[in-house]
Amino acid sequence: MSFSERKFIMTKIFNSETRVPYIILTIVFIISIYPFFYMIMTSLMTAGEAINQYVFPRTPMLENYLEVWTSNNFQKYTINSIIISSITVVGVLITSIPAAYSFARIEFPFKNLIFYLLLLSLMIPEIITLLPHLLIIRGEIIPLPFGSSWMNTLQGLTVPFMGNIFVIFLLRQYFKKIPNELWDAARLDGASHFYFLTRIVVPMSMPIIVTAGLFTFIIAWNSFAWPLLILTKEDWYPVTVSIYSFVREVGPNFHLLMAACLIAIAPILLLYFFTQRLFIESISNFGIKE
Amino acid sequence: MNNFLRKHSEKIVGYSLISPAVLLISLFGVFPVFFGMYMSVHKWKVFKGRFLGFENYERILGSIPAFFVFILGLLALILSYWIWSEYKDRYQFKQKIYVLISSLTILSIGIYLININWSIMVDQGDEDYLYALIYTLYYAFFTIIFEIGLGLVIAFALYQKLAGKQFFQMILLFPYITPAVMGAAVFFLIFGKAETSFLNQFVGFFGIEPQLWLFDKRPITEVLFGVKIDGLFAGPSLALTSSIFYGIWSYTGYYAIILLAGLSIIPSDLYEAARVEGASRWQTFIKITVPLLMPIIFFLALTGFINTFQAFNSIFVMQTSSAGDTMDVVTIEIFDHFWGRVKYGYAAAEGVILFVLLNVLAISQYVIFRKKIHYD
Repeated sequence: MSFSERKFIMTKIFNSETRVPYIILTIVFIISIYPFFYMIMTSLMTAGEAINQYVFPRTPMLENYLEVWTSNNFQKYTINSIIISSITVVGVLITSIPAAYSFARIEFPFKNLIFYLLLLSLMIPEIITLLPHLLIIRGEIIPLPFGSSWMNTLQGLTVPFMGNIFVIFLLRQYFKKIPNELWDAARLDGASHFYFLTRIVVPMSMPIIVTAGLFTFIIAWNSFAWPLLILTKEDWYPVTVSIYSFVREVGPNFHLLMAACLIAIAPILLLYFFTQRLFIESISNFGIKE
Repeated sequence: MNNFLRKHSEKIVGYSLISPAVLLISLFGVFPVFFGMYMSVHKWKVFKGRFLGFENYERILGSIPAFFVFILGLLALILSYWIWSEYKDRYQFKQKIYVLISSLTILSIGIYLININWSIMVDQGDEDYLYALIYTLYYAFFTIIFEIGLGLVIAFALYQKLAGKQFFQMILLFPYITPAVMGAAVFFLIFGKAETSFLNQFVGFFGIEPQLWLFDKRPITEVLFGVKIDGLFAGPSLALTSSIFYGIWSYTGYYAIILLAGLSIIPSDLYEAARVEGASRWQTFIKITVPLLMPIIFFLALTGFINTFQAFNSIFVMQTSSAGDTMDVVTIEIFDHFWGRVKYGYAAAEGVILFVLLNVLAISQYVIFRKKIHYD
């Protein structure tokens, strides 16, 4: 690139119209990204460097990751989190796709009433529901399938979160946009609702299904108070609980804590990286629709 | 029988498709509220005990009548705003004065009722819980104000035709998708009390003394200006302020993306018209952009209050013992009561009170924004 070309691009970027926006965005960029930068750099330091909070490590200590990964069952907790979150996502999609389809396309009495009553449940703070949840999964309120108590079990960690009205809402919005002509044509060919849903609606709605899945995955990965409450043994500890106990007893091991955090965030960042376009789009739409 | 099935097959399919989701949501989403109310009127420690009536509420609030009058005071504030906004444009100057006077009267009655009854409640009730409400209010108020304000600025920056817009949007959502426990762990180190902690090095750059950040329970006004104020206007402690920074960091990008989407559906001919009329940028912003963005701002403020009143993970992780109870927002207080101290009935009552207050908040926001919501 010649000098004049470069100068042309620079003036284009920094002309008076866009100078201020670029300055603002650069500051926002630095603030948004800095904690990640900090985390990566600290995770590569020696204990001493981390405590004195240098900006860069002198030599990158990649063995920190190995140390965290192999110590204190950390790998087991990470795998636990992956299992818990994946099962929750599958469960949510299995209940939500049919429900959203039904709310969007099928006529039955009290449809809207039921839908809006369910939507109201979004107004209920989670902290209120935790305690009754606890009694339910202890089997004190209703008899449970798969064992009399779900304390310390995988079903206890996942089943309470498998019904999600927010996901149903997102999917319903999308399903409603599928043209009626398609359904009429399918009807003429003698297709059932089931056939129409699985062969036409679901393939057409893959973007929103992936986004909803990602939302659910993030929320499930993030779950913290609930596992803390129902797990009295370490078998099913998710990675969040393990990070929490790490923070409480971190002592001088800043570098290991940051390495652990990076490992625990990595799956989410990876998923986000592949789906970001869909993700940003659906967040934008969601805000406008409400 | 066959006939019946054929006639109603559509409905049967409809109901059976929604039934798993409806069952799960009503069991784990709706039922807990009612069960929580049931628990709150019993003595309940791990197992159900005897019926208590409103004793738990009595112990939390000090006096239940005082609480109701307190709520009435809150509603009076809303009423006074409603009267003013509803009638101020309707009458001549003379009647306007009556409107103003009645609105101000109701306002002062409201403030009076709130003030009196709040001190009764603090006197006789559970001080920890009532202070937790104030801390939650600080947390919610400051995070939401900054999230929406900064979100607007960022949305405007992104709204200009820039290269790399997609890239900036992607980066903006990084904090939002970061799980709160891990994000808080990083902030726990950044806001550390050591002199070498990143933030202390950073403020040292500007010649400011090292602070204790998350470990400091002094109110922010004392830290900033060195004056000691008691009560509501003292502001959050430095520790809570630090966690407010985390809240702002994690949500502002998300708000900006939604506000940007709102900006981009405003028809551009409106701006053209304003330019032809010779309106300045600021006038265009106040007269066109803000009113048209109001529905979205309302939506963000409402969900913001619900979210911030629920904020738990990040604060729980960042809690330090030297910050005392100044970081105990309502969720933490409730969680502590049933997880730490196993007082189920008491915690349930605390939850129900939170639920009532959230609803009052939602109503008041609706009244405040009602006139400004512009549907077309």
